[in-house]
Amino acid sequence: MEVIVKATGLKKYYGKGEALVKALDGVDLEIERGKFTAIVGTSGSGKSTLLNMLGGLDVPSEGSVQIGGQELSRLNSEQATIFRRKQIGFIFQNYNLIPVLTVWENIIFPITLDGRKPDEKFIMEIVQFLGLESRLDTLPNNLSGGQQQRVAIARALASKPSLILADEPTGNLDSRTSGDVVGSLKVTSAQFRQSIVMITHNPEIAAQADRIIRIEDGKIVTTFGKAGQ
Amino acid sequence: MNFKPIIVLNKRLFRQNRGRNLAAVTAIALTTLMFTTLFVLSQSMKKNLIEMAFRQTGYDAQISIKHITAEDAEKIAAHPDAAEVGQSMVAGLGMGDALAGRQVEIRWADESYAEHSFAEPTTGKMPEAEQEIALDTIVLDRLGIPHELGQKVTLEWIADFAEEQNRVSEFTLCGFWEGNESSYASFAWVDKEFAQKAAGDAVYEIVNRPAEGIAADHVWTEPTAEEKTGTGEDKETEDMTGDTAISTAAPSSRIAGQYMAQVTLYDDRNMEAMMDHILEDTGLSGLAYSVNLAYDPEMNRMAAQENLSLYLGMILVFAAGFLIIYNIFQISVTKDIQFYGKCKTLGMTARQLKKLIYGQAGMLCLIGIPAGMLSGYLLGAVLVPVFLQGRFASVSASPLIFIGSALFAAATVLISCMRPARMAGKASPMEALRYNDVQGGTSSFNRAGKKASSHAGLSALAWSGLGRNKKRTVTVICSLTLGLTLMSTFYAKNAAFDMEKYLSELTLSDYQIDDATNEDYIRGYNPSGDTLSAALREQVESLEGLEGYGYLYSHEAEISLTEQTIANLQNFYTEEKLKFWGSYDPEGPLALREAIAQKRAASVVYGVDGIVLDAWCGEEHLLDGSYDAAQFTAGGYTLAVASAGEEGEKPGTASVGEEVVIEGNAYTVMAVLDNWNPATEGAREETAVNGTENEFYLNFILPAEVFRENWRENTPRKLFFNVEDACIESAGEMLEAYSLETGVSLPVTSRASMMDQYERETRSFAVMGNMISLVISLVGVLNFVNSMVTSIVSRRKEFAMMQSVGMTKKQLCGLLVREGLDYAFLTLLITYAASALAVGVGVRKMVEGGFTTFRFTLLPLVICTPILLLAAALIPYLCFRNIEKDSLVDRLRTEG
Repeated sequence: MEVIVKATGLKKYYGKGEALVKALDGVDLEIERGKFTAIVGTSGSGKSTLLNMLGGLDVPSEGSVQIGGQELSRLNSEQATIFRRKQIGFIFQNYNLIPVLTVWENIIFPITLDGRKPDEKFIMEIVQFLGLESRLDTLPNNLSGGQQQRVAIARALASKPSLILADEPTGNLDSRTSGDVVGSLKVTSAQFRQSIVMITHNPEIAAQADRIIRIEDGKIVTTFGKAGQ
Repeated sequence: MNFKPIIVLNKRLFRQNRGRNLAAVTAIALTTLMFTTLFVLSQSMKKNLIEMAFRQTGYDAQISIKHITAEDAEKIAAHPDAAEVGQSMVAGLGMGDALAGRQVEIRWADESYAEHSFAEPTTGKMPEAEQEIALDTIVLDRLGIPHELGQKVTLEWIADFAEEQNRVSEFTLCGFWEGNESSYASFAWVDKEFAQKAAGDAVYEIVNRPAEGIAADHVWTEPTAEEKTGTGEDKETEDMTGDTAISTAAPSSRIAGQYMAQVTLYDDRNMEAMMDHILEDTGLSGLAYSVNLAYDPEMNRMAAQENLSLYLGMILVFAAGFLIIYNIFQISVTKDIQFYGKCKTLGMTARQLKKLIYGQAGMLCLIGIPAGMLSGYLLGAVLVPVFLQGRFASVSASPLIFIGSALFAAATVLISCMRPARMAGKASPMEALRYNDVQGGTSSFNRAGKKASSHAGLSALAWSGLGRNKKRTVTVICSLTLGLTLMSTFYAKNAAFDMEKYLSELTLSDYQIDDATNEDYIRGYNPSGDTLSAALREQVESLEGLEGYGYLYSHEAEISLTEQTIANLQNFYTEEKLKFWGSYDPEGPLALREAIAQKRAASVVYGVDGIVLDAWCGEEHLLDGSYDAAQFTAGGYTLAVASAGEEGEKPGTASVGEEVVIEGNAYTVMAVLDNWNPATEGAREETAVNGTENEFYLNFILPAEVFRENWRENTPRKLFFNVEDACIESAGEMLEAYSLETGVSLPVTSRASMMDQYERETRSFAVMGNMISLVISLVGVLNFVNSMVTSIVSRRKEFAMMQSVGMTKKQLCGLLVREGLDYAFLTLLITYAASALAVGVGVRKMVEGGFTTFRFTLLPLVICTPILLLAAALIPYLCFRNIEKDSLVDRLRTEG
């Protein structure tokens, strides 16, 4: 099996002395290409910190992260940004859409930032699949939460990243919409052989994952996989 | 569709930030406006300064030749290195009461000569037929002739100083042009035949002046420096007339027939070498010529000096512009830092983020700079005439002004954006998610919070508002302090000027009337002139509200020097003094040495009485001895006049108590007085005729009565009188009426006109100083308003939370007003300290000496204090009213 993400001895500490907070306390993790991994845990357990580390948004106090064989700590912040926009698609709980750009512009934003020409045919396929084709010229504020999250998904998929990191993408959505969003995410990623790492509180969604990782106090406590392991 | 993310984002963000844009565009426009105004002023000042020098020298060709023949002039004109040669021939000098006090040279000239002498008819043409004449408007006005072609002109004139009777000729006006007061003389152009006839059959003898004579023409005595203080005008007139004026050093008294030429070269550099070369080629080596003083490199240096204050202004403008633009962008970036973090998460690099900031700045510049340039140019165009009033003024529209100010403004914006752009570029996706309007991370937030909670009072909470973003607070306070301190400084400096001190140097009474020949440097003063006629004297002496009057007579004599006097002279005129004297008047030290060797000197003997005597004998003019009025007027005493030296130095003239013999009568020197300009200013007595030029003078004062007994023929030279304030105008009207009635133009100097002149000359700096400090203060206020507004708007949610946990509207509003007032108090505290220092130390030092009396004042600041406090309370109140429009729930829900 091809390993897309490899984290070793990841630690993230904040503060000093008595005020020391161990957000991550020695995490080792490997994620295979094309798999859907769910991360679960209570509030403050370190899920988001882990996800941010994996995406290169945050820098670990100790340990290393490799994505597709690239050691993230070797990149300076500018290189890390460029690497991220080529390799990783992010989906956030609050969607992180740019309010002044239309749906279409939001979707192609990271690709154009990279100076590439968007693959319009491919992106239109995603848009149609996510049911956004009639909304392309709309500004995000005029969309419902579910629609906004679908735009965020389309944006994450548009650049054909090998890894999609999603931080509670359904946190602001009702259960029916949540099901739809996760369903579509699963189908598209399977279609394009993308790996998904998703933080969720929702057991139903977690249940759809190939593998569930539970984190408590900055440590992985259990790993539960559907397919083998 | 080609989607350019940075450009599109740039445009959309720009549209979204209307408030910031308004503030930024205003700030950029104001900055550009100030730069443009300063550029317009500096360019125009330089242009006008050079133009003025041309007008004073009377021509703008490089070379002037005073004595040449027509044939030789043609030879030079044929030389390939001479671009243009203008020629002129003198016919005579205008005479008559109407022209008294103004030199009018009647000449023939070709077009080139007239053009380069700024005397080309703008209406009509140069004379071609006999009895045609072209005049400037000054002469036309004096003669009372309307500015219309074809008018009859009757001119009194002479072709020779020796002529007893004025000639009278009739002409027809064929052209005229705007006269220039700063020029030494007016030209009256006639046709060539007339000039030739005036010259008669006698061939005008060309005498090449000796080499020293040429050197004297090159001496530059900084006329504008003197002009600024309003003194020493006599010297300037003498020196500036050197190049093109009718020669007074001619061997005879003949005027007509003098042939002159002006040579224009292709290059302003090495003019002398070039001219020598031309003369050599044409076989005219040794021909005396002079180089136009306006081309002196000194001119450029002077222009640069005049511009120094403008450069200082530019630095201040940059500082003010930086403080506000930086602050606006800093606030904007701080507010949007989460957005930039979001962009970074999505793959925007630091470089792209910086591009976004500079892009915004660029768009703001595109609006702000042209707006500022336009208004700045208009303002400059309004100000230049104010600046140069009374002088020749034109507004420069050189592209340099626009390129320069645009570049300066753009550079200011760019530099101001550097830090905010770097900050945006550094926005980390992680920090962005929990960013608050706090500088320096969480620690200062805690500090502010702790302070607030431990006091738990609103005032402490308000005070902590200031500490939230120290950098912003510092920027705003600096911005306001800069403007207000500058304003106080300018005000204090202007307030320190003492008009009385200034006027006492220039004039000693409300009115002064001179004999028309008093300042006739060509023919000299006529001691039996009739300007101050018995009729006029009677009218003045019986004026309503007359407070006092006094006469001044003068007579030139020769005296022998005693051993004591010679010792005093040798003592006083040290080598150093002589060297300095020689640097602007090479003949002076020579004349002194000659006088000492011959033991004799020329002397102007003044006869004075009334207010002139009283004023001149005042303590401030007394150099040595003591003055006893009763004893002096009784007779037998004289007062010596000498240049003031160092404090306590023995003056270079006869000693007190010594006996001086003036034309057979002996007088005892009672005291020594300084050479007081209002009294002594004027020409020597008919020097051209009796040939006493370049002599050393030792002057003495006698009581007017004694003077009149000795020299019965002499008429008064100057009349001074004071009238009650209420009668000043009526006195002026009386003089005007007298002038009209008798047709004699009176050379009147009034205190009021002196005051006017000073105000016109200095208004420029007052206007500029006040304008710049006002705009800088305005920028400071804008900065303050912008900071207050954004700081409140960005905390909408925080305030909503405070309200949700029980803070009343009244309390919140009070908190905000309190915060604004704290801001204002802090600013005022610092501004008062800075201004007190600037005025008390800086201005005091600056105005030392000169016509000033230092007074400590912070009046502008006192005036601004309530305004600032009101604004500081009003702005938060208005902002609060504005955010109150949205419901609490709405505000809690909003992002950020």
